[in-house]
Amino acid sequence: MNVVIASSSIDGGIGCWDLQTGAEQLRYKTCASPPHGLASIGCCFLACSQLRDPSATSGHVLYWSWSKPQAQVKSFPAEPIKPLAANSEGSYIVGGGSSGDIYFWEVASGRLLKKWHAHYRAVTCLVFSEDDSVLISGSEDGCVRVWSLFMIFDNVRQQQASHLYEYSFTEHTLRITDIVMGYGGWNAIIVSASEDRTCKVWSLSRGRLLRNVVFPSIIDAIAIDPGEHVFYAGSRDGKIYIAALNAESPPSNNYGLHIIGSLTDQSKPVTCLAYSAEGNLLLSGSEDGMVRVWDVKTKNIIRMFRHSKGPVNNILIVRLPYPFTRTESKVQASSRRHESLRPPLEKYANSSDEDMDNKAIIALPDTIDLPSYLSSQLINDHVKQLQQQGSSAAAEMEVKRLKLDGQRSMEMFQQLKKVYDNLQEFCVNELLDGQAMEGSKGN
Amino acid sequence: MAKLDQFENMYDVGSKPPMLRNLIRHYLPAANHPRDLNTSCFELPKLVSVLQTHRLLSESDSHSVDPKLINAWKSAVDDWLGCLLSLLSSDMSDKCWVGICLLGVTCQECSNQRFLTSYSVWLDNLLSHIQPPSDSQLVKIASCTSLSDLLTRLARFFEVKKDANSLAGKLIQPVLKLLNEDNVEAVWEGAASLLYTLITFFPASIHHSYDKVEAAIASKILSGKFSTITLKKLGYCLALLPKSKGDKDSWSLMMQKILISINDHLNEAFQGVEEEAKYDEARRLLVTPGKDLPSPLGGHTSLEGGSYNRTSSERLPTATISTLMFCCCKMLTSSYPVQVSAPVRSILALVERLLRVDGSLPPTMLPFMTSLQRELMCSELPVLHAYSLELLIAVIKGMRRQLLPHSAYVVRVVTRYFKICALPELRIKLYSVIRMLLLSMGVGMAIYLAPDVIDNAFSDLNSPAGEDFEISPANTGPALLQPSNRKRKHGTKTGSMEKQGASPKVGESNTHQTTPITVKIAAVDSLELLLTVGAASKSDSWRSSIDSLLLRTAINSCKRGWGNVENNVFLPHEPASVWADFQLSSLRALLASFLAPARVRPPYLSQGLELFRRGKQEAGTTLAQFCGYALFSLEVLIHPRALPLDDFHPAYHNPTDGASNRFPENTYSGSQKQNSLFLSAAQRTEEGAIKSHDDDLYNKWLENENNAFKDMRDTSRPNDSSLANVLEVSEQEPAAANADLHMRGEDEIVVQPRRLEEPIPKSQEIVSANADTSRPAVGTNLEGGQIESKKVLSASDRLNDIDHDMLSGVDKANFDTVGRKTSSTLPNVEKGSSSMTHLESESSMDSFPNIVDADPDTDSDSD
Repeated sequence: MNVVIASSSIDGGIGCWDLQTGAEQLRYKTCASPPHGLASIGCCFLACSQLRDPSATSGHVLYWSWSKPQAQVKSFPAEPIKPLAANSEGSYIVGGGSSGDIYFWEVASGRLLKKWHAHYRAVTCLVFSEDDSVLISGSEDGCVRVWSLFMIFDNVRQQQASHLYEYSFTEHTLRITDIVMGYGGWNAIIVSASEDRTCKVWSLSRGRLLRNVVFPSIIDAIAIDPGEHVFYAGSRDGKIYIAALNAESPPSNNYGLHIIGSLTDQSKPVTCLAYSAEGNLLLSGSEDGMVRVWDVKTKNIIRMFRHSKGPVNNILIVRLPYPFTRTESKVQASSRRHESLRPPLEKYANSSDEDMDNKAIIALPDTIDLPSYLSSQLINDHVKQLQQQGSSAAAEMEVKRLKLDGQRSMEMFQQLKKVYDNLQEFCVNELLDGQAMEGSKGN
Repeated sequence: MAKLDQFENMYDVGSKPPMLRNLIRHYLPAANHPRDLNTSCFELPKLVSVLQTHRLLSESDSHSVDPKLINAWKSAVDDWLGCLLSLLSSDMSDKCWVGICLLGVTCQECSNQRFLTSYSVWLDNLLSHIQPPSDSQLVKIASCTSLSDLLTRLARFFEVKKDANSLAGKLIQPVLKLLNEDNVEAVWEGAASLLYTLITFFPASIHHSYDKVEAAIASKILSGKFSTITLKKLGYCLALLPKSKGDKDSWSLMMQKILISINDHLNEAFQGVEEEAKYDEARRLLVTPGKDLPSPLGGHTSLEGGSYNRTSSERLPTATISTLMFCCCKMLTSSYPVQVSAPVRSILALVERLLRVDGSLPPTMLPFMTSLQRELMCSELPVLHAYSLELLIAVIKGMRRQLLPHSAYVVRVVTRYFKICALPELRIKLYSVIRMLLLSMGVGMAIYLAPDVIDNAFSDLNSPAGEDFEISPANTGPALLQPSNRKRKHGTKTGSMEKQGASPKVGESNTHQTTPITVKIAAVDSLELLLTVGAASKSDSWRSSIDSLLLRTAINSCKRGWGNVENNVFLPHEPASVWADFQLSSLRALLASFLAPARVRPPYLSQGLELFRRGKQEAGTTLAQFCGYALFSLEVLIHPRALPLDDFHPAYHNPTDGASNRFPENTYSGSQKQNSLFLSAAQRTEEGAIKSHDDDLYNKWLENENNAFKDMRDTSRPNDSSLANVLEVSEQEPAAANADLHMRGEDEIVVQPRRLEEPIPKSQEIVSANADTSRPAVGTNLEGGQIESKKVLSASDRLNDIDHDMLSGVDKANFDTVGRKTSSTLPNVEKGSSSMTHLESESSMDSFPNIVDADPDTDSDSD
């Protein structure tokens, strides 16, 4: 079941609705998230970084399990963390710090595996690639960087290389507000939005700018059409612009080059977008606290979710693995057990615990033991063995049988002997009784 | 009874009870009657197959509920079981064996009810045969197997779980006894399979005897004297054993024990060929300083195992080490109820340590081994290397994405080994490690591995022997591996004699090392995967050479005809199937090289297409299937399309389904609906929404054909009327329209096959053709043949105010066109109802695009 998850910068909890029916699910309490701070960790649980007052020296990250409204785990990273992202398996969480550092945690152990200085200013968004091997980060300094995670973990190559990143795109002049990545592994495109009122399309394989789209207003959120025909850009003037990727754009129009239309509801600034491939729906979060569901074909709003009074700044669409019912005790029990195993994120890379370095907490692949019956195969094998009379097993069995046969013959012999003895005795008696004759030999 | 004996055919349920009785009479030896072993048990397989084919023991049939029949069947099965049980209690071991085996089959085949009522009796019966009084090994093995089948079936009933668990618990002691006290290997194998079933389905039953089971298995493995299969089975049980406890610690402990044991064995074996420091390093990773050493594997038995090794120090304890490594593999790849902490670094260190040892003496050391010992070790080393690679694969499988922190280390181990690895089997394994890495780690890994994979694949595929070996007969040296060798001879006869002159290396090819086909297959497969995963990433430097290499490989593999799997029944290992595999792999790689992202058009596309076309003609082979698929996927390369996602939905759903149902409805809805839809759609587009949802190719077509069309229109003749005209006519003069005309319209489904080959995406055709019909003024007439598509295109060009974005509306309109047409025919149809039925049946079979899709060709024909 697909659910819509939304959070706000003002504490209104995390709202959760069934996308199909529109029914509201649990509301997870006490959450004030920065943009891009909400992440679903491998569909197992929710994680959200928290806004802190500027004087705070440490960050704050909360975990919620699907079944409970209260936050289950609280972590306090070394500095305020804004964007959070997790790989698709849910084994790693990355967080972007306000100093420009990126933190890389292992979820199962909570260990901080790596921390590296990625940007000069605070990190604003983090995106994993489809195959989880590439991380893209955007920063307040307007820089978009592409990191190969293998490089991050390869100390030897790092020393040879002049820089850690694969690419550093510096064409944006102001803060990066959103980054999305398209389809196709290393051949994918990246679309980035910035406060400089532009969205830029980059080619990952060539490492250069493909298209620059200038918008009438600042774009805070982008969502890409899965067919990469267009992308949608949510702007501060309340419109969602449709900009061309593969689509042909008309030479002249109202908005500017490559912008081929807009979705509009005369609402407040659009702060976040999400695209649901199932049914081709576009979800937008707005500063008025509403989540709107658009049918991109008809450009109509087909549903609205009221989240809170404050601005919505994160929307996720999550496919829950099991039906979302609060009464399902079995699921709850098992998930609770998992939660107890999930430690908070560590503050510092703890190199002293070498033992843990050598180990990794893994969930072994789920295989199913299919019942298999062996008897008929065994019969074939044994019969083959028996047919080759040379096999020791067959010989042994034969010996056993012969033994029994021998025993039986023995018995029969005894019986016959007894009969014979009787007969002989009888004959002898007869002979002795009668006239004497020439005695014949008994043996 | 007599009535039941009369049955109709072999499917009749009535035939089953008598059939079963017949089997009992003919095949089952009577318990008290001594009978020749040969006649009774050699027919058992046949008996079993009859039982299973006719499901004679199932006692239920979905078709029949005749109580009489059910009773008859029930009594027949009762007899069957009675017979089996009496056999089981026979003191003749052969009879007993027959009974036990058949009881196992019965456990699998009988009805649920019968199983539930009698499983405990059966279990007791079988159990008595693995306990001391019984002494025939076949009986013991058969009992183990039958018990295992019984438990397997029992595990499927949740309602008796508790009872089943306690019953399973009863089995543990006898099984342990078999393992500990019996001295026949085959019996252990049977016991191991029973143990496996117990651990898999009733893990809780082992819980109490965990240590004893571990000790029993470990002593067998550590003694290392048995066949690989037996040891593997035992090793698998050992690997699964922690499941019976199911907690995090027992898994880790077992893994640690196994690793320590492997390391201890290696220390002993590698004395003299590696530095002492290695030992400490491995140890340090395995046992955290300050923590206690876990008890050795299997408790005290480890010591005995060690002493065994010492006494026969001439030999490398390969069997033990490899079995223990197999255990590790299985532990990493089998499921486990909770998350575990795996000592990745130690496992990887173990792999590295093993792969480093190649039998050479380290320079710093004095010769410590005798040359005999070294020879022995070198002969065994490949096995150990193979297992290390297996272990590496298992690590990659088990860790998945979480290997990330260790991936650099893995890559270094693999690439270093690639440089020294020369044995074909090991290279094949190494290539599969590479493929696993690429698959599980994605593009980031591809960037790292690309140079090494390419270098090695180049040398394997491009080795002089590899080239010549297909074309020069001088290459038939004894050094060649048999399969490729034999095949090559066949090939020479057929067609490559004339080519030997072309090869400059004919004479010297014997001196080169040859690369077996199997290695080439692995290399080609790895290249294919590299292309699919990482072709987009910084591939400019190697792309062109790889493309040409793959084309050459594919051409070489295919030039002597197609490998046929069924070539020769007399040679059991005919290389043809290996050859067919090679062809398939090389063609797959070729397809990947065409489809992988690149800046330029694939340079060898035409040659490749030719190969695929030829391959497709080999009907009935996997190769043909693949070539068909290749041609299909290359079509997109030739006619690129980037279709908008949102138009997909209506275009897909509207047409074909249930056309006949909707037909009457549309008949009366008339043409207003169509017009209004059209208008609204047009208005919506004019409002300035998304312009042109079609792909570039289409627009290019339009640009090119625009002018050509104008010329053509002047020359067109009226009698080449298209369906568009037909429709107009019928609309303008409904009274004059006759059934004949419309029949002609329906005839146009003949055109359909040709439509598929038109290079224009279908939906656009629909749109444009339809747009045409909506404008009565158009009246396009064209000459037949190839122009049809152009005509359709140009028609839509003139109507380019109607956007394709409104496909949904257009589709409806389309549909109404059919309706309108029909409504106009209605008066006539009443006169000739036959034509109406024809019309209806045609339209229900076919989607309307065929009706609307104007094809001047057929129309002029019918004129």
